[in-house]
Amino acid sequence: MTCEDEGNHYGFTLSDELIMIRNQVRRFMREEVKPIEDKLPHDATHCSPEDEARLRGVAEDMGLGRLNVPPEYGGQDNDCLIRCIVNEEASKCRLGGYRPALGAIRRGPPNVIWRGTDEQIHKYGIPCVEGDMTGYMAITEPTGGSDPRNNIQTRAVKKGDKWILNGRKMWITYAGDSDWGVLFARSKESENGRPPEITAFIIEPSFPGISFEKIPVIRPLYPYEIVLEDCEVPEENVLGEIGGGFGMAEHWLVAGRMPYAAGCIGMAQEALDMACGWVKQRDSQRGILADKQAIQWMIADSEVELQAARMLVYEAAAMSDRGENAKVHASVCKLFGTETAFRVVDRAIQMFGGMGVAQEMPLERWLRELRIKRIGEGPSEVHRMVIARNKLKNTDGGVYFG
Amino acid sequence: MKVLVPVKRVIDYNVKVRVKSDGTGVETANVKMSMNPFDEIGIEAALRLKEAGSAEEVIAVSIGVAQCQETIRTALAMGADRGVLVETEEGAEPLAVAKILKAIIEKEGPEIVILGKQAIDDDSNQTGQMLSALLGWSQATFASNIELGDGTADITREVDGGLETIKVKLPVVVTTDLRLNEPRYASLPNIMKAKKKPIDKMSPADLGVDMTPRLKTLSVVEPSKREGGVKVESVEELVEKLRNEAKVI
Ligand SMILES: Cc1cc2nc3c(=O)[nH]c(=O)nc-3n(C[C@H](O)[C@H](O)[C@H](O)COP(=O)(O)OP(=O)(O)OC[C@H]3O[C@@H](n4cnc5c(N)ncnc54)[C@H](O)[C@@H]3O)c2cc1C
Ligand SMILES: Cc1cc2nc3c(=O)[nH]c(=O)nc-3n(C[C@H](O)[C@H](O)[C@H](O)COP(=O)(O)OP(=O)(O)OC[C@H]3O[C@@H](n4cnc5c(N)ncnc54)[C@H](O)[C@@H]3O)c2cc1C
Repeated sequence: MTCEDEGNHYGFTLSDELIMIRNQVRRFMREEVKPIEDKLPHDATHCSPEDEARLRGVAEDMGLGRLNVPPEYGGQDNDCLIRCIVNEEASKCRLGGYRPALGAIRRGPPNVIWRGTDEQIHKYGIPCVEGDMTGYMAITEPTGGSDPRNNIQTRAVKKGDKWILNGRKMWITYAGDSDWGVLFARSKESENGRPPEITAFIIEPSFPGISFEKIPVIRPLYPYEIVLEDCEVPEENVLGEIGGGFGMAEHWLVAGRMPYAAGCIGMAQEALDMACGWVKQRDSQRGILADKQAIQWMIADSEVELQAARMLVYEAAAMSDRGENAKVHASVCKLFGTETAFRVVDRAIQMFGGMGVAQEMPLERWLRELRIKRIGEGPSEVHRMVIARNKLKNTDGGVYFG
Repeated sequence: MKVLVPVKRVIDYNVKVRVKSDGTGVETANVKMSMNPFDEIGIEAALRLKEAGSAEEVIAVSIGVAQCQETIRTALAMGADRGVLVETEEGAEPLAVAKILKAIIEKEGPEIVILGKQAIDDDSNQTGQMLSALLGWSQATFASNIELGDGTADITREVDGGLETIKVKLPVVVTTDLRLNEPRYASLPNIMKAKKKPIDKMSPADLGVDMTPRLKTLSVVEPSKREGGVKVESVEELVEKLRNEAKVI
């Protein structure tokens, strides 16, 4: 019988430093972000450039401008747990799902850029940290996003000192509004049962043969389709090794999953807290809503599930910070965090009744955005597949059936 | 020159305070605690003196239960240089706190002590005044501006009639008002550095201070609930209500 070592990782406590960081972000949200957000339309995707610049200034003074940046470039190592704590709090606003703290805390470039050459880092990476440049990641194609290794059909062919790209990318967030992106294409067909080779390219909107089209979706921040027709990419824009693209896509996806789940949990916690305030003052048949068992059970279930979801995030983040392979744990927290958050916001809407779906409240917007979170960066089913495969691989039947 | 800033651990100002069911005090179990906001202003003022080159060292002192160490860490994360924790039971009274501070001040020798004008838990508004009397130092309460001169300080005070500026000799006890400054955020790197800054620990006995309470709390009750307002249709109705219901005219 083999059984995966469970490890001594239960009973997690946050350090005093992390609690202090969380308190600072909470104050920032209350004192700086909320007053600006109150003046924005319900479905706004960003605040004014002046407000954003001011918020960024404060966030930068707070030392939050270089999260997810390696120490050589002014960030700090092993900051996954910090990013989770910050993202959970920064997502507690109307725009939280896709613009935590109204963009005050920089998204930073896709982390794979730090695996590039010195020239690439200075041309594309640093300006995202010190200037206003932004980047995106283009993995998904019309053929599907769940199995990138086989779904990626965009072809890259070397011609002289250029690569020629042909194909289409779908649902790419920020693509049409960014200065550059990392795009994954097939550089070699599968051979002798070996999977096709995927290579990462840094692309700019000015390259010949590239075009973008918005795709309207359930959330106000529309993603883009990218069409590549004999798009010319200079040789020096290959990111990492030729054929090393798949590992790079995975590196980006895995590192993002814990903060991704943390952000969802933040929105859901705020929704639950709002609902608690509401049911205590809402008169209902002979009493207030808070006294009804049906309401109390919704609150209890939501609170328990959120606590569990948060622990899973901390656990995966702490593993990642310790330098352990957190791939499966990242899937666990992404799956449970996003599914829980959606359920909790749905219950909060239920407790608010009609007010829950009114645009006066952030709830209906959060529900729409959380709906996407169960599909983006790996649909729930794909994470279940990863978790189940790992479990089956390591488990042979327990004491009675081993 | 050293600046000493006492920092008190109080219920966070965003928490809705609840009276304990037995009426002996307010509920503090599982309640978020933070630095008294007026003391944050004190720390900020001290840091600005240091940044302006007028002070060399900022010392944060907290008096109370062991967890006051977290309050001191917050001050250190904002930029204070070191901390002193005097461990006592909960609920030290203003006079006892002033006596402890006096003992620490005699050891440390600061020339400026910046306290909050009051703590948001008991709103006593006493400690600064008592301390200055015990020390025989100048006193400048409710400060909204501090200008240091040569051995003196010009301090603007928020008084009922407006603003009053007084010139005091150093050493001085200052208490902060809300408009003195807007306290900074503790930055991520400074939060990490704060862990390494020293905190001295001592007890009131080490300082020879007698903590025996001199006050007795008889009971603590919730403030009476405010009634919801009403809209009136006309001036006549308003006057009628002021006269007959509110009985104020
Ligand atoms: C708003 C939005 C923004 C996005 N932004 C980006 C971006 O910036 N960059 C990027 O590269 N991609 C982006 N995506 C794409 C996203 O990652 C994909 O939508 C996702 O990976 C799923 O791929 P798909 O939509 O092609 O669905 P498919 O791969 O076709 O899967 C459809 C459904 O089938 C099920 N399924 C799939 N595989 C399995 C399986 N093995 N077992 C059981 N069930 C399975 C799942 O329920 C899944 O939802 C975005 C998507 C959306 C909606
Ligand atoms: C888009 C929209 C269109 C509508 N159109 C109409 C219309 O055309 N005409 C019209 O008259 N009304 C209309 N309504 C109102 C709708 O009927 C009410 O929203 C609904 O009856 C719930 O009332 P409420 O929103 O005041 O919620 P509340 O009565 O405050 O209830 C809030 C929540 O509390 C819970 N709850 C309530 N009572 C109990 C209980 N006894 N025990 C346990 N839980 C309880 C439920 O979860 C409920 O969702 C509309 C509402 C919406 C959102």
